[in-house]
Amino acid sequence: MKKVYVAMAMLLVLGACSEKKKLPILGNRAAVERLIDGKLQIDTLYATVADFSLTNQDGKTITQETVKGKIYIADFFFASCPTICPIMKKQMIRVFEKYKGDTGILFLSHTIDPEHDTIALLKDYATRLGSDGTQWMFLTGEREQIYELAEKGYYATALPDSLEPGGYVHSGGFILVDGQRRVRGIYNGTDEKEVDQLMLDMDLLKNEQ
Amino acid sequence: MRSITFLCLLFLFSCSDSELVDLKNISHGAELYKNYCSNCHQMDGSGLAQLIPPLYQSDYLTENAGALPCIIKNGLKGKIRVGSNSYTLAMPAVRNLSREDVKDICVYVLQKFPKTPIVIADSVLKNTHKNCP
Ligand code: HEC
Repeated sequence: MKKVYVAMAMLLVLGACSEKKKLPILGNRAAVERLIDGKLQIDTLYATVADFSLTNQDGKTITQETVKGKIYIADFFFASCPTICPIMKKQMIRVFEKYKGDTGILFLSHTIDPEHDTIALLKDYATRLGSDGTQWMFLTGEREQIYELAEKGYYATALPDSLEPGGYVHSGGFILVDGQRRVRGIYNGTDEKEVDQLMLDMDLLKNEQ
Repeated sequence: MRSITFLCLLFLFSCSDSELVDLKNISHGAELYKNYCSNCHQMDGSGLAQLIPPLYQSDYLTENAGALPCIIKNGLKGKIRVGSNSYTLAMPAVRNLSREDVKDICVYVLQKFPKTPIVIADSVLKNTHKNCP
C-alpha cells in the first residue's frame, strides 16, 4: 500500500515538473491594445512566420494553410551542397523516422538554390531520402521569398557566397515551429546531441498543443 | 598484436611497385578522409540513404580503384550503380588537396573499405595531373 502512495507522489512531482517546463517563444513580441466587449485589453503579440507560397517536389502549392495547426520543422539546404547538408539530412532522417506517420507533424526542407534544384530533382532527392513527399516536403519558389523567409521568418541565414564551397553559406539550423506558426526552438542540425534535444522538445510541444 | 597488424600491413603494401607505404600515410589519409569525405560518405563508409553511395564494400570502388585519384580530383557525375542501387547526385570535386594528400586518401580508402584491401601502383597515384581527364 505504501508503495502505491510513493508511486502516486512521484507521479505528482513528475506531473508538476512537466507542467512547468514549456518551450520559449522566440522572436520579437509587441504589446497590442484590443477592444474586447468595450473594454481595453493588452495582449502580447508574438512573432510568427509570415505567410508564404512555395511549390513542393510534386508541383503542389504549399502555403501557411498547409501547416495550419501543425508542428513543423523547417530547414534550408541545396542538393549540390558539399559541406553540412548531408550531415543535416542524416540527422533529419533520424527525426523523420521517429515521427513518421504522425499527422500532426510536418517537415519542410527549403532549397536555397532554386535555379539548380528543379522540382524533378527535388522529387528524386526526396525519394532517395526515404520520403514519399507528404510528411517531409522539399520546397522551392522565388529565390527572394525563400531568402526572406529564412532570414526574417526562421532566423536562419541563407546568403549566396561565392567563397564558400558550393557557393552558399547557410546555417545548419533545424527550426521548430508550433501550430500557431511561432518559432519555439532552433537546433544545430549537424549536432547529434542538439537533434536529440529537438526530439525531446517536439514531445513537449505535442503535449502543449 | 600490434606487430601482427603491422606485419599484415607491411605484407599488403609490399606488392606496391615502389617504396613501401608508410603507416604515416594511412593516418594522414584517415585525417583527410574525415575532413573531406566523411560528411557525405560517413566515417564508416556507409553513405547516406539512397543519396550518397557507400564506400564500404562498394563493388564500384573495387572495379574502379585505379580511377579513385581522379574521382577525388574531379568529382563524379552521372548515374552510377553501387551494389543493387543506382545513384544520380553529383559528387563535387574536392579542391585544395595536394598530390600527396590525394595519394594518402586513396591509400587509406582502398585499405579500409573494400572487402579485401586494394593496392594501386604509386605511378597511378602520383600522376593525377597527367592521368585525370
Ligand atoms: C558532397 C558529398 C560528397 C563528398 C564530400 C565526397 N563524395 Fe564521393 N560521392 C558522392 C556522390 C553523390 C557520389 C555518387 C556520384 C554519382 O552518382 O555519379 C559519390 C561517389 C563516390 C565514389 C564512387 C562510388 C562508390 O561508392 O564507390 C567514390 C569512390 C567516392 N565517392 C569517394 C570519395 C572520397 C574518397 C571523398 C573524399 C575525398 C569523397 N568521395 C567525397 C558524394 C560525395
